[in-house]
Amino acid sequence: MSTDTKRLTDSLPVDEERLRTAGVYAALYGAAFLFVIPYWWMFATSFKPREQVYSAVPHLIPSDITFEWYRQLLFETQIVQWTLNTVLLATITTVVVLLVDSMIAYSLTRLEWPGRRIVFGIIVGSFMVPGIINLVPVFMIASELGLVNSPWGVVLPMAAGPLGVFMLVQFFKDIPDELEEAARLDGFSRLRIFTHIILPLMRSALAALGLFIFIWTWNSFLWPLIILQRSSLYTLPIGLVTLQDSMGVTEPGIVMTSAVIASMPLLVAFLLLQNHLVKAVEMQGTTK
Amino acid sequence: MDRESDGGFLGIDLSVRSTREWIAGVAFAAPYVLIAAGFLFGPLLLGLYMSFFDWNPIVPGQSEFIGLENYRTLLSDPRFWEALKNTVYFVVLTVPAIVVGSLLLALGVNRDVKGQWLLRTIFFSPYVLTVAVIGLLWNDLFSSSGLIPYYVGMITGNSGSWLNSHTLAMPAIAIATVWWTIAFNFVILLAARQNVPERLYEAAKLDGASSWRMMRDVTIPQMKNPMIFVVITTFVSSFQVFGQPYIMTNGGPGSSTTTIVMYLYTSAFASREFGYAAAIGYVLFMILVAVSAFNFYYLGGDD
Repeated sequence: MSTDTKRLTDSLPVDEERLRTAGVYAALYGAAFLFVIPYWWMFATSFKPREQVYSAVPHLIPSDITFEWYRQLLFETQIVQWTLNTVLLATITTVVVLLVDSMIAYSLTRLEWPGRRIVFGIIVGSFMVPGIINLVPVFMIASELGLVNSPWGVVLPMAAGPLGVFMLVQFFKDIPDELEEAARLDGFSRLRIFTHIILPLMRSALAALGLFIFIWTWNSFLWPLIILQRSSLYTLPIGLVTLQDSMGVTEPGIVMTSAVIASMPLLVAFLLLQNHLVKAVEMQGTTK
Repeated sequence: MDRESDGGFLGIDLSVRSTREWIAGVAFAAPYVLIAAGFLFGPLLLGLYMSFFDWNPIVPGQSEFIGLENYRTLLSDPRFWEALKNTVYFVVLTVPAIVVGSLLLALGVNRDVKGQWLLRTIFFSPYVLTVAVIGLLWNDLFSSSGLIPYYVGMITGNSGSWLNSHTLAMPAIAIATVWWTIAFNFVILLAARQNVPERLYEAAKLDGASSWRMMRDVTIPQMKNPMIFVVITTFVSSFQVFGQPYIMTNGGPGSSTTTIVMYLYTSAFASREFGYAAAIGYVLFMILVAVSAFNFYYLGGDD
């Protein structure tokens, strides 16, 4: 008797649960569908012949496929140059950030020197400063130092950000002291401890930070926009936008194709290295 | 790593080993400190200094000190108030949608659903796109030959471009921004949800708590700090919106999508009023500090 009533009342939540599960699936996959449409549109448009690009009824599926936009983009614009510039700039910035941030993170966590707590406090405090308010003074400094139209005019403001230092400090704190003590007793110098013990141990944190900085620099818009003022120096994001303005009549086919070219390398890297990137983003959410 | 040796009155240890440690410590810190001094902290002070001048961009030495005049002009500048109003409108459109959207997606993906990896990949992927691609792509989607006006027009009867419309241009920019920035917040909240200990839910279940009560009494309080982080950073970045309106509308039609940062940018690089632009930057900074502090205390952050 008592088991029967129990079963009766239990059957309700089970159905409710099933209904809820169906609702969750519908909502999640519905949202995923909405998220995918813009990608689909971008890729589809890049292969559409002109009359379908301009047609009043949108063609979600191109009935003819053309590579005309890719041909025009590769041979009639500077997009190859812009891609090389972007790769170069992102690589330099990543190397500089990993180097200087890991050095200071090592110094702040493993070495004792006067003022180090104050320095760390100021770096933490600088998180509150929105980058944008420095737009004008950094431009003044860059032009005084002759860094306008130089890659360093972009690299240095980006490398000044506190995020990487803060992320690495969290990791360096967790390395056991014993390893370093043992190495020191063996007569290792600080530099050698840093390069032979600390850095190898931090490989995965450095990889996550490096990937994050690379993508961040690749995508950065504001600094390249004000610092790089010659079209031969543009990065992809800047070049793309000028393409929209300078082709006279804006060709949606060209613009969408350029968007495909600018985002493909990162989307591929994203699919392969997603877990590193998730880690880099999570580090930001948990460290602040 | 607290000080091990007794360093006397000033806490400074003068033994040979510690002196070498100092030198090493300072040497390792120096490269970043120099870069940050030149391109982060120095500019912060220079910007404040510039905001008190009628800055001469060609010969900075001939700039004229005008005290608080830039700030006074700003307060009576209708274009500034218009830009502030537009920015606040953008913030109102985007922040709730981004915070609630990324929370719902994170809680949904965290459930035991099929295709979890695929869903996470899709929702996270816009994160790797540059604002230039976001702007150009959504520019096309909202244009008169684009997808959205066509299908929305079937219902409303108006299939014109959203970006040429005074009422629809800002919502269009907001939609593009939500699509782009849910990603980052989604990943943070997904990690936060996964860090809530499962035993709390088991205990709540034993107590017969409904799923709504578990949400209210376990999930939300346990995710409080990441939520505060998401709210504050979303506010701060929405207030600084620049690339999307710059690319999609260039501030128009009229000045209906000119945001504060766009106004700052044009003041500096089109009108060459660098002192004035620096003052706009500082006012924006103060607004952001106030908004962040308000959020922090109102939401009850504790670390």
